[in-house]
Amino acid sequence: MKRKTSIGTLVGFLIILVWCLLPVAWIISLSFKTSAETAVGSPQFLPKDPSWQNYKDVLGFGTITPGQEGTHTDFLDALRNSFGIAIIATLLAVIFATFAAYAIARLDFKGKRLVLSLALAIAMFPVVALVGPLFDMWRTLHLFNTWPGLIIPYMSFTLPLAIWTLSAFFREIPWEMEQAAQVDGATSWQAFRKVIVPLAAPGVFTAAILTFFFAWNEFVLAISLTSTTKSRTVPAQMAFFVGPDPFNPPYGQLATASVVVTIPIIIIVLLFQRKIVAGLTSGAVKG
Amino acid sequence: MAAIEMKNIVNEYGDGFPAVNDVSIDVADGEFMILVGPSGCGKSTLLRMVVGLEDITSGEMVIGGERVNDKAPRDRNLAMVFQNYALYPHLTVYENIAFPLRLSKEFNEKQIDEKVRDASKTLELDEHLDRKPGNLSGGQRQRVAMGRAIVRDAKAFLFDEPLSNLDAKLRGQMRTEIARLQKRLGITTVYVTHDQTEAMTLGDRVAVLKRGLLQQLATPRELYENPGNLFVAGFIGSPPMNFLPCEVSGTTAKLPFGDVQLPAEKAAKVEGRGLLIAGARPEHFEDASLASNEVRTGSTFRATVDVVEWLGNETYAYIPFEAPPEVEQQLAQLERDLDGESLRTQLVVSLDGASRIAAGSEAEIWLDASKLHLFDPATGENLTVDTEHAGQIPDAAATV
Repeated sequence: MKRKTSIGTLVGFLIILVWCLLPVAWIISLSFKTSAETAVGSPQFLPKDPSWQNYKDVLGFGTITPGQEGTHTDFLDALRNSFGIAIIATLLAVIFATFAAYAIARLDFKGKRLVLSLALAIAMFPVVALVGPLFDMWRTLHLFNTWPGLIIPYMSFTLPLAIWTLSAFFREIPWEMEQAAQVDGATSWQAFRKVIVPLAAPGVFTAAILTFFFAWNEFVLAISLTSTTKSRTVPAQMAFFVGPDPFNPPYGQLATASVVVTIPIIIIVLLFQRKIVAGLTSGAVKG
Repeated sequence: MAAIEMKNIVNEYGDGFPAVNDVSIDVADGEFMILVGPSGCGKSTLLRMVVGLEDITSGEMVIGGERVNDKAPRDRNLAMVFQNYALYPHLTVYENIAFPLRLSKEFNEKQIDEKVRDASKTLELDEHLDRKPGNLSGGQRQRVAMGRAIVRDAKAFLFDEPLSNLDAKLRGQMRTEIARLQKRLGITTVYVTHDQTEAMTLGDRVAVLKRGLLQQLATPRELYENPGNLFVAGFIGSPPMNFLPCEVSGTTAKLPFGDVQLPAEKAAKVEGRGLLIAGARPEHFEDASLASNEVRTGSTFRATVDVVEWLGNETYAYIPFEAPPEVEQQLAQLERDLDGESLRTQLVVSLDGASRIAAGSEAEIWLDASKLHLFDPATGENLTVDTEHAGQIPDAAATV
């Protein structure tokens, strides 16, 4: 009986794994195919003649396919923008959210409910609906095609979720913790920094991961509010991978860029995930 | 170390309800003071006002000769042990104890290490220093919390029901441990508890509170022998004092079971008072057949014993009785004040373990009437109190 269920579980796992990872495997396989192979349209799964040429073209090392010289400089610029914008947006969002959430969890002030419902309302607002107004505003304010032009909306769209997550975490921390710290000689700020923040670390990391994902993957705002590689992020830049033949998009290169852009996400998740698990199980995270 | 003076302290909630009402307690330097009372009596609030976690609506809090009403907790230099210990779960035991030292910035790494190891040795925490609080037992956590308090040179220790989360056996051990530690360090201590046993065993003096009012401030012995009013009498002692309706004429007190003779000076104090409540501790009764050897100052009466609990060294016998409505109402109110549930008016008497009285039988019981207390049923005031040996009884306390 037990064996049966374990086999069933295993089969279930396999199905889910294949379902989730097949597209990823397809993209990885695509990234090793030559342009000749992707253009003929024969859809075999594995590349007939695997080559690193796409990676060379996108990342700019080794011999580059003639006519593709611009691709890698644009891509690397976009990668730099992506990193910069995502990291700054995450940092700011987490810092603001931590303070806001702390206030919401601990202090009794008028309009607390209003702040929380407003935050929720922002989260429910469709991003696309804001593209037009933002475009106009950013042009007047000279924020169009700049890093802050993307950081500000990314921050505002991720703040609600971060605030809600963090205030839940703060509420879990007993008041006595803070009072004990104050009696032990801590100022309110020291009590917050040395006791509350470390205890809320799992929440802070969760909020950070969610914010980073949003900023890293965002496309609509990235393509609408930028015009050059000065501030265009990777998801938007990939739309500009055209290749020499307008009827034949460079599938191989697109796949390669996708693979490259996914790697940091995987690394970050693995790093932060360990922190989250450690934080939840033993309260071991040191701030 | 320092004395703590509370002068007419008041704490009002937002709606004006006083949680602590005009309480004055002076804790001498090095004294072990207990604040005791049923839940909601304001004892924890009072303690939190001492440490600065609760605002003082009016009155003065003076610690070591310095008014601290407007000082933040960190500037008062007091150490506190919380009911749930409030250890920092993200820090090791070592770091938990070192936390107040690191904050003070007065000590270098070597001094901190010395002090922490000293405290951990005192509390036998040496082998746990590298562990996290989450992996410790309740008793060990309790000791870490104490370590965090004793590691500093605080002016006073404050305990907020520190033993209420421990099981009975550990509670007894830790109680002795706290007493020993306090005697050794000789530090001023204020200790909040709802447990009258802790209050009696630990305190140099005990402050009994009820609904924000100080009832009596005295040594445990004074509280036990000379309670200022019904509430203190019922709260201190286990099993609690028996309360019986009583009418006094001359030196004869008429109790539900029969008449007893009062000492002349006690009878004089209640002359012409009509219906009273008499209070008698369980141990002031005895099986008449076993009490014959003692000096028979009291009187005997016959009553039917309902239930008998034999504990080896002593026997508790329960004798139900009917009380007149005005007394019964007063006793029911008292029971509510004490967080209890009064099911019936009954007499609990503690007899010698050798007593052969059986449940359901009629027995002859002897009562030491010289120990009897007589209370005013309207105010609850103890009319026969020996004021010279009763500590302080505020005027406002007696009114129930």
